[in-house]
Amino acid sequence: MSFSIPSLVLALIAFLILYFLLNKYAFGPLFSVMEKRRELVLQQINEASQTREQAVAYVEEQKQALQDARKEAYDIIEQSRQTSSKQTEQLLEQAKAEAARIKEEAVRDIQSEKNKAVEALRSELGSASVKIASKLLEKEVSSDAAQEELVDQYLKEVGGRS
Amino acid sequence: MHESPIINLAGQEIDLSIVLMLIVTCAIVFLIARLATRNLSVENPGKMQNFLEWVVEFVQGLISSTMDLKKGKPFLSLGMTLIMFIFVGNMLGLPFSIVTEYHDASKAHIFGHELVTVTEKLHTEEAAHPGEEAEIGVAWWKSPTADPAVALGLAGLIFVMVHFLGLTRNTKGYLKHYFQPFWFFFPINLIEQFSKLLTHGMRLFGNIFAGEVLISVLVQLGSSGPIGTVASIPFLVIWQGFSIFVGSIQAFVFTILTFVYISQAIDTHEEH
Repeated sequence: MSFSIPSLVLALIAFLILYFLLNKYAFGPLFSVMEKRRELVLQQINEASQTREQAVAYVEEQKQALQDARKEAYDIIEQSRQTSSKQTEQLLEQAKAEAARIKEEAVRDIQSEKNKAVEALRSELGSASVKIASKLLEKEVSSDAAQEELVDQYLKEVGGRS
Repeated sequence: MHESPIINLAGQEIDLSIVLMLIVTCAIVFLIARLATRNLSVENPGKMQNFLEWVVEFVQGLISSTMDLKKGKPFLSLGMTLIMFIFVGNMLGLPFSIVTEYHDASKAHIFGHELVTVTEKLHTEEAAHPGEEAEIGVAWWKSPTADPAVALGLAGLIFVMVHFLGLTRNTKGYLKHYFQPFWFFFPINLIEQFSKLLTHGMRLFGNIFAGEVLISVLVQLGSSGPIGTVASIPFLVIWQGFSIFVGSIQAFVFTILTFVYISQAIDTHEEH
């Protein structure tokens, strides 16, 4: 085992050549790839946090929208309830008025019918009593003045009652 | 112990096993890195990419444990290369070894060059024991980090870089720290700097070299006879496992010490 300067120089030359070759063909590209990956990871982390923020904002928005929709629905229900009760009242009012009108009409009809009937009865009775009177007159009245007076009186009575 | 296959090339003594192992180590490290970064994907990384990213994060952890990660970012590539190179280098010597044996000095040649160490050794053996046939083994496959020159070369690279960074980025604090706590501490501080260099490299070399020496000793025990074979297997198993552990720890220690030294040099605080 000896120490030789040429070996030392050779080792240096070999090592330096290896260093430059590795630097150029292996480590340079490798380092740049690792750097790129670092940047990629950083960028993805940023993107993820951004997306998360967006998602939170979106959820907030959705909550707000849901709240609005609920409120709106409540309003609509309230409104319709009010409308319906008003309508019911109105209908009831109408029905009552109608009923009153119909009743009044019926009463009027009954009255007029009754009047008509009375009128008809009176005329019927008049003619019937005339006939009766004429029959009786044919037999007795012509001779007896007292009986004529009696018939007149009777007729008056009948007419005055109606 | 086996010899190193050293040849004389243009006046320089070149250790061929170091050349071979440096090439193999660099090739394996580069192959791993290329396989891992072949189909790079931001969103769906493959198994190998995940593995290399784990290594990156591990080294980032080392940096952030010694200095501000922003300041240490430029050293990430260096740390990655260091830890992968040293780890692969440490592991390479463990599973097997390639040894060639020479008996004749005239045959100890490769690519037309004389293997200096082998011929020298053969000649001295022949001179010592004339008439006997000498046998010299040459180890071709071993951990590159088990060589002091390689380990110190790496440590020296870090040493130069650390002091350059200190001088250019943190001139005042760097120069001041040599004279702290008092001016006459300057020699001690100077020695400290050089001892850092030495321990940084020698720690790695010593651990890996010792591991390989013990493995080769155990292998020799195994080839000594049937009893030796049986006895050496459990020891080899234990020591191989421990060497994997030591190799990983040394790669880790070398890398984290690099970051510690860098952080000490570029640190602008007045703490130490």
